[in-house]
Amino acid sequence: MEEKDLRQVTFHGEGSKLFGIYIVNLLLTIVTVGMYYPWAKAAILQYVYQETEFEGSRFTFHGTGKEMFIGFIKAIGIFIVIYAFLLICIFSKKPLIMSIGFLVTYAAFILLIPIAIHGSTKYRASRSSWRGIHFGYRGDRKEFLQEFIIGALITISTLGIYYFWFIIKIRKYIFGHLRFGSISFAYNGGGTDYFKLHLKGYFLTLITLGVYSFWYVKDLFRFFVDNIQMEQDGEIVKFRSTATAGGYFKLIIGNLFIVILTLGFGTPWATVRTLNFIFSNILIEGNLDVNAIQQTEMDYRDATGEDISDMIDIGLV
Amino acid sequence: MYHFNILYFDGKFSVTHQATLDLKPDHWIIQYVDQDQNEQIVQWEINGIERDLGFNSLYIFRYGDFPKQTIECKDENLLVSLKKLYPEKAFFRKKIDLLINQNGTVIAGLACALAGLLAVAYFYILPWFAETVADKIPISMETQLGETMYENVISQYNKDDSLTRSVNDFVKEIDFKTDYPVEVTVVKEDKMNAFALPGGHIVVFDKIISKMKTKEELAALLAHEVAHVHYRHSLKSIFRSLSGYLLISLIFNDINGITAVLADNSNMLLNLNYSRNLEKDADEKAVVILQANGLNLKGFADLFSLLKLESKDSETLNLLRTHPLTDDRIKYAKDVAFHQKGIRNNEKLEKKWQEIVDQSK
Repeated sequence: MEEKDLRQVTFHGEGSKLFGIYIVNLLLTIVTVGMYYPWAKAAILQYVYQETEFEGSRFTFHGTGKEMFIGFIKAIGIFIVIYAFLLICIFSKKPLIMSIGFLVTYAAFILLIPIAIHGSTKYRASRSSWRGIHFGYRGDRKEFLQEFIIGALITISTLGIYYFWFIIKIRKYIFGHLRFGSISFAYNGGGTDYFKLHLKGYFLTLITLGVYSFWYVKDLFRFFVDNIQMEQDGEIVKFRSTATAGGYFKLIIGNLFIVILTLGFGTPWATVRTLNFIFSNILIEGNLDVNAIQQTEMDYRDATGEDISDMIDIGLV
Repeated sequence: MYHFNILYFDGKFSVTHQATLDLKPDHWIIQYVDQDQNEQIVQWEINGIERDLGFNSLYIFRYGDFPKQTIECKDENLLVSLKKLYPEKAFFRKKIDLLINQNGTVIAGLACALAGLLAVAYFYILPWFAETVADKIPISMETQLGETMYENVISQYNKDDSLTRSVNDFVKEIDFKTDYPVEVTVVKEDKMNAFALPGGHIVVFDKIISKMKTKEELAALLAHEVAHVHYRHSLKSIFRSLSGYLLISLIFNDINGITAVLADNSNMLLNLNYSRNLEKDADEKAVVILQANGLNLKGFADLFSLLKLESKDSETLNLLRTHPLTDDRIKYAKDVAFHQKGIRNNEKLEKKWQEIVDQSK
């Protein structure tokens, strides 16, 4: 049998440097009443990418505060319009108009979620590069929106049970349209397995009074990672998780102590620990030719989706 | 010193080229051998070169339209040479470099400043803001909050039903000059205390009533507590001292949480520390109420004297302990009583008072 190459992404970030960035960010964000936020976010992403290494080369985040600020303003505009509409409906004091107002607001938020996911994935991917080769997301907004809304409606009408299949479908769609130059991605997980994993995790966590939760997160992480694959010129490259429940225990309890004992000021160190943990527990397995990745993607600079997703707090991936 | 070893990426493939960089006055020359062993030369015009914001000792430059070419250099001398050769080109203007790359003291200072800022915000701005919010809450909501708190508080006491009825009859004879519905509850408790809840509920301990000698004293006590209600003192003070919790509830958009927090802390009402100014406001309003009802203000002074007397043998006299500077207030009460005109005899009120006296003996 052919020997397979094992590769890893390594993270070199330091808590003290990240701390410096956090502090400057926080102060400027407070002083500017939040307007600095996009620049703050850009600085952190740039730092984290720059300290992330694969095969001797660092990643780069090309997004700028200015791009994200424009997106930020657009996103605020969208929210103001939605809330203004809702307020007008409420002030009318007529039950019918009020309920229409709530319905429309609700629908608008459901619509915004996929728009935000699509936009931020596309922006984030396009603004990420390694050795000058950019990532890219080729998903179609209309198609994604359709898939998302249908999934959301089925989830609601099955009282949430479909949720697990829904999540997997979304993951499949996003990974299926993700590119890194000439490399394409795919997600192989199945909704049924995902559902079983949650079912098992939930009940065992209850029965063991929470002790099982470390195995639960380990399993979820593994399910996420092990189902990702890359393809380069017909060659399949797989991802594999080596995270253990013990490792998760050390990470979570340690971070909890760091954050609580420092009244939150230790958060950057906790972030560094988390990133270290994640990257050191992912193996990339297969015959990847790291010198033959070809530039294929277009430039994309609209950060509106990125900012909307921040505002409705969608945790991507 | 214008020759460096670098890594070059052409923007088309991910292959790393070991290359050399030569700095010329208006352009850079990059030379490398490609995979097919061909010598390659690339020229970068100075005006198209950008530097990445750097957080570590890797210097990254990019050139051209998308997809950009990239070079990476680890040689610190590169920066020195760039400064010398292109003094007017802004390769170094990224001000954040300064803050992040070197000065630990600056960062520590900023961290302290931030902690200070947060402390000021938490201890001063937040309470002030909470008080402002309390001022803007609609009466209906205030009454509802007060009702919830009242139920919580009163469940811990033994209510004196007949005294409560009599005192409320007494209340009906006085015009308290407020829109809030005044509702007194007398409870059996061996302490001298009384307190007001948001929205109009007033709780009076029976001991304080049994020590009173005149109807004016009771009227003064009630008028004072009603004034607290009228000016929303209790609501404001509660919001003030719970502003931290309220903020958290607001952040999580949990309006029910606010009610729960207030309900859980209803007991605070017993020991609420009103500021000197709030007490003064309440005293002044009480004087106005008493005068408008033609009641003798001497009752006011008597009430304070009674409280002061009692405080000598009771260490837990809340009403007084939390009301500072009793001597000043006695003086104030005597003063206004001295100048008072238009005292009327109120037979009806006197009758109600006698009913209370009969019961509390």
